[in-house]
Amino acid sequence: MAWEVGLLALLSTLIYPGIIFLVVIALFYQWVDRRFYAKLQNRYGPIYTGPRGILQPVADLIKLLAKEDIEPSAVDKQIFRAVPVLILTMPLTALFMIPITGTWALASFEGDLIFIIFLMTLIAILAFLGGWSSTNIFSTLGGMRAALQALGYEVPMAVSFMGPAILAGSLSVSKIVQWQASHGLWAILLNPLGFGIVIVAFLAELERIPFDIPEAETEIVAGWQTEFSGRKLALIRLALDLELVLASGLVTALFLGGPTGPIPIIPGIAWFMIKTLVLVLIFSNLRALFARFRIDQMVSGSWKYLVPLSILQIVMLELLLGWLSF
Amino acid sequence: MNLVKWSRIKSPWVFHFNAGGCNGCDIEILASLMPRYDIERFGMILRGSPRHADVMLVTGTVTRQIYPRLRRIYDQIPDPKFTLALGSCACSGGVFQQCYNVHEGADKAIPVDVYVPGCPPRPQAIIDGAVKLLQKISKS
Ligand code: SF4
Repeated sequence: MAWEVGLLALLSTLIYPGIIFLVVIALFYQWVDRRFYAKLQNRYGPIYTGPRGILQPVADLIKLLAKEDIEPSAVDKQIFRAVPVLILTMPLTALFMIPITGTWALASFEGDLIFIIFLMTLIAILAFLGGWSSTNIFSTLGGMRAALQALGYEVPMAVSFMGPAILAGSLSVSKIVQWQASHGLWAILLNPLGFGIVIVAFLAELERIPFDIPEAETEIVAGWQTEFSGRKLALIRLALDLELVLASGLVTALFLGGPTGPIPIIPGIAWFMIKTLVLVLIFSNLRALFARFRIDQMVSGSWKYLVPLSILQIVMLELLLGWLSF
Repeated sequence: MNLVKWSRIKSPWVFHFNAGGCNGCDIEILASLMPRYDIERFGMILRGSPRHADVMLVTGTVTRQIYPRLRRIYDQIPDPKFTLALGSCACSGGVFQQCYNVHEGADKAIPVDVYVPGCPPRPQAIIDGAVKLLQKISKS
């Protein structure tokens, strides 16, 4: 029946594995991240909100949604209002192209990997626009830094994404996952260097320590988010949490075999959760380990070390493939 | 208890403003964020921007120079907002009472919800003050 298929598509887009499921997972990962980060610093982290503090991100979200929403008179109203909504849609759209329950994503077409890279660039540009439209000196500086930082991490990240794409002979995330599933081989085995580079680049994309330069609170108040309050801040924070899911989901799909695993009884969604949780823990571990870089160190470092290393990885992969004659 | 009030009690984000103190109180605020006392247990995070905050921690006697700035920063916090006056200086002017250049306490400039005396107050006292503030919010 046509309408049943349509209803199923609608439900899977809205509820599982669509918007509501992704938002719940994003809030859950924020809690995991905060708790693990606190544990590494010998603290407890949030523990009194719900069982073991698991409702803390929910409380933060509701509180921000119910707070007064201040729009300073000097801001550029249209852009200022549009940025939080747009920045929330970007990671959600990109997440539809990542396989979560099986080897097929909700939406997939040849070249969706390029489209995801494009969406992630747009997030950095929206951060810049948000800072610029605030017309606050701290926001402007933070927005500038966000755009500058994007120039640093974007190229090595995109080049490293090409490793799994070359292996699978396709630019579609779903096809890369299928290739890994059918060959029983995770792309990280042939791309160890690329995996490391992508993790570092995602730390910068997520604006986490050591690359939290755009929102360095000891220098520039809260960076490009300084002027956002209430509802707008709630949307921005939700978007950043979804970006964490996007980052770990994309790395899982490209390098760790996606939602498939060696034991076939365990469903795909469980594999997805296990692998992304491990990645979230890696991200928070690195966050607790380092101190912040300066913006010039970050950009020049990534052009001096990350870009040559990512190209070296591709060359090595090609040589290896020629030698193995895949 | 309704949902909004519950969320307000569970996630009070704090913003710290030094209105001319000697830094003693500020170091005690840092101590209460550190592993031993860790007020993030109650969902409190220290935010850099007043636009993100719910609770303002004022330390130090309010000097004439800082007075208009304190008012302005307070106005920048979105409603509903609460204030915690930390230390004898912020409560009453402390040792700087009757100096030519001070306003003798934060409540001369902005409404204050909870006073935490001490010079400087211990982290335990700060946590006690924070819990009193949360009780006040839940009763309101
Ligand atoms: S109360 Fe004491 S420690 Fe705190 S700012 Fe005043 S003089 Fe310094």
